[in-house]
Amino acid sequence: MLPGFKLTLGFTLFYLGLIVLIPLAAVFWKSSSLSWAEFWQTVTMPQAMASYRLTFGVSLGAALVNLVFGLIVAWVLVRYEFFGKKLVDALVDLPFALPTAVAGITLASLYSKNGWIGQFFTYTDEHHEVQSIFFSSRLGIFVALTFIGLPFIVRTVQPILEDIDPELEEAASSLGANRWQVFHRVILPMLTPALLTGFALAFARALGEYGSVIFIAGNIPMKTQITPVLIMQELDMYEYGRATAIAVVMLVVSFVLLLSINVLQWWTNRHNTHNLA
Amino acid sequence: MTPAGTTLHVPHHPARRHTRSEPPYVRRLLIGTALTFIGLFLILPLLFVFTQAFAKGIGFYFHSIDEPMAWSAIKLTLLAAGISVPLNCVFGVCAAWAIAKFDFYGKNVLLTLIDLPFSVSPVIAGLIYVLVFGTQGWLGLYLNADHPALPWLANWLNDHNFKIIYAVPGIVLATIFVTFPFVARELIPLMQAQGRSEEEAARVLGASGWQVFWRVTLPNIKWGLLYGVILCNARAMGEFGAVSVVSGKIRGQTNTIPLHIEALYDDYNFTGAFAVASLLALLALVTLGLKTWVEHKNAAVLDK
Amino acid sequence: MSVEVKNVTKKFGSFTALDNVSLKVESGELVALLGPSGSGKTTLLRTIAGLEFPDPGDAQVLFYGEDVTHIPASERKAGFAFQHYALFRHMTVFENIAFGLRVRPKTTRPPEAEIRARVDKLLHLIQLEPLAKRFPTQLSGGQRQRVALARALAVEPKVLLLDEPFGALDAKVRKELRRWLRQLHDEIHVTTLFVTHDQEEALEVSDRVAILRNGSIEQIGTPEEIYDKPASPFVYDFLGNVNLFSGRVKDGAVVIGDTEFAAPEAAGEVDSAAVAFVRPHDIRVTRQAAGPALAATVIRSNAAGPVANLELKRLDTGELFTVQLSKELFQELQPKAGEQVFVELKNVKVFSDDYSI
Repeated sequence: MLPGFKLTLGFTLFYLGLIVLIPLAAVFWKSSSLSWAEFWQTVTMPQAMASYRLTFGVSLGAALVNLVFGLIVAWVLVRYEFFGKKLVDALVDLPFALPTAVAGITLASLYSKNGWIGQFFTYTDEHHEVQSIFFSSRLGIFVALTFIGLPFIVRTVQPILEDIDPELEEAASSLGANRWQVFHRVILPMLTPALLTGFALAFARALGEYGSVIFIAGNIPMKTQITPVLIMQELDMYEYGRATAIAVVMLVVSFVLLLSINVLQWWTNRHNTHNLA
Repeated sequence: MTPAGTTLHVPHHPARRHTRSEPPYVRRLLIGTALTFIGLFLILPLLFVFTQAFAKGIGFYFHSIDEPMAWSAIKLTLLAAGISVPLNCVFGVCAAWAIAKFDFYGKNVLLTLIDLPFSVSPVIAGLIYVLVFGTQGWLGLYLNADHPALPWLANWLNDHNFKIIYAVPGIVLATIFVTFPFVARELIPLMQAQGRSEEEAARVLGASGWQVFWRVTLPNIKWGLLYGVILCNARAMGEFGAVSVVSGKIRGQTNTIPLHIEALYDDYNFTGAFAVASLLALLALVTLGLKTWVEHKNAAVLDK
Repeated sequence: MSVEVKNVTKKFGSFTALDNVSLKVESGELVALLGPSGSGKTTLLRTIAGLEFPDPGDAQVLFYGEDVTHIPASERKAGFAFQHYALFRHMTVFENIAFGLRVRPKTTRPPEAEIRARVDKLLHLIQLEPLAKRFPTQLSGGQRQRVALARALAVEPKVLLLDEPFGALDAKVRKELRRWLRQLHDEIHVTTLFVTHDQEEALEVSDRVAILRNGSIEQIGTPEEIYDKPASPFVYDFLGNVNLFSGRVKDGAVVIGDTEFAAPEAAGEVDSAAVAFVRPHDIRVTRQAAGPALAATVIRSNAAGPVANLELKRLDTGELFTVQLSKELFQELQPKAGEQVFVELKNVKVFSDDYSI
């Protein structure tokens, strides 16, 4: 029996309550100041509905793109040798380390009509002005959310891929499976829980993202306004009740995602120990 | 919900390449795809920050950083990180000790609750503190109540015009919230993997609780702790959404570096914005470098 | 009485690890706690060390008469060697051994020179002086175990507790270390309890063996006592290979098939169903029956190793059993597969039929 259980658990619960649980409870307290009808009206107003569709749709798209490219990056980093591999491996975490505001202004400038990339993708609008197709559009938001979600899939898949017992693949080859069959029937099923976890993590992160999106998105209500920006707009107008109501919707979605991610990770771990045993 | 890149990992199997390789054209295609993706999404933006920062020459660059508003933002950012990182460090060590070294009911619930801040949008992280401490919030309503339970406290706070929201304390609180799980999330799996027997051995040999911690546990977790601190610090210095809700954005007073960058950008001072942004980009590169170094160190320790 | 445990019960949730266990160990004794996994032997050891506390009740742990039931591990002065050694991975061998002395409060901590002298003496005792500056990961399993022992001995413990001390080692190193432990014990005479699931180890090394099953002590005695006079079928079975013959017991004899064998211990028993336990080396194989014997067919023989093994099948019931015989007898007999032989049972131990292993 080691000492310190009461002290450390006590402090943990105290700090958790003070910093996280009590303030989070305030959201539910504040939203209860609205009547159910008011609450429902707020969370289903057209501007909110448009923001959910945009946020969910683009987050899903970005997470899917990351699913494919993240798997390729993880595969290449684990299985192949090439010049600059260590650098690429370290850089994968850049979206974690780079502050979102920096990412936001960088992507906005890079994809603007005069930017390094944006200049090649322009069109002329109804006012005869040249515009970047990324600016004030879903495409721009998609680019930003792909950027911030990039490390999640790579970093969940990479360790699992590294731990796959070479003998499994050798066994499959010796049984006559070709390379694609080995990948498709042996490796991919083992990676599935990790891929799903990474996907859910990237998706969850994209839903709440703010800093990297606002500069490129233009934040036009009903068109390119993501839900966090809508909350911010309500706050700027001192509409605390409405901001809170929309926040409750997002929190509930986040909690459901958090739970499914925990279940997925539990599944990944079990799957993994099972393979090693 | 763990940001996937935040756990130390060492592969179990050295790759046996010759029997497990694809045809050269497939390999080249995959490497090419991966490098293009990384180049487009990571390397190009990084280069862009530094090119833009120096677009008007080195003189303008230093002028953008060496001015009172920038300095005030840097000081505030250092203050927020300086308070939130040590606090979350102490919390992380306590939580990891309780969870890894003891068995108790509700451990999984506790683990999920510790992860909560990762799954909350930064904007909502700011909002919750406004709801607690703002003029319309719990504390605000208390201060304006006709008969506060602790009149001396209410009076003192009112007399000294002590503000939390749209002031420095709110910024610090929001930063603590968004960086809350980093150290704990790093230490818990590490300490669970290391087990309890070294600590038990130290106990049987007569060591006190503190001696066990300082002489046995801490040396074993130091790399993991450093790793968590590095990530925690990067997030603390770079947080934007949560801080932007609670700060009020008063230039020279409640602007952190990211908020200062936003302000410059909104003023169409792009070069100035990127000059200051280059500081944070540099911090990100240092973070990645340190992170790689710690992973390398940790792998060496495990290999020994 | 140097170490005494009284009425200790310990539950983990719904699992009862220890069920009202009492045990006395004499000063200077070397006692083995033997049992299958889950029998509670490690929990008993950890309770003595103060790493677990008994469930509330009238439980007591006494060291030399002193009640230490509520004293934490750090103040009990019990030396404990962990199954996987639990060496401090960031400290050298020397620092690992010195740890228990260095963490003492200033008032009782020996001066640096004395710490060094004592560690050097222990390094000499475990024959690892040249490796003092190595880290645990640079040692072999056997060396790590010796360091773990030296570390436990450095604090001059009142009792030495070893959890599966040889469990993680390969067979050859195991035997060497076993002998070394016995020698070491004869030299320093510290009261020692060790946990093992290996009956051979327990019988060879210890002064007394306590056999645990489902959280209780099934039998305690010298190795000879428990091997020759097992108190239950469980103990009998746990201590080595055994053949089971069901039959009937009556006064001083047991009837298996149509044959009656002498069973002196069963004197005075009333006629009832019973199981006879016979060790493979207590079965004599002959071509001609010279007394009470069972007929059997040779299925397989194997003479590799120090003794020969025969697998036989009873003619009457078709049940299989094994016989162990010396190489000489095997050469003499030259049994062929398929041939019929007779077997005589010696040292038959009879347990009533409702006993289960």
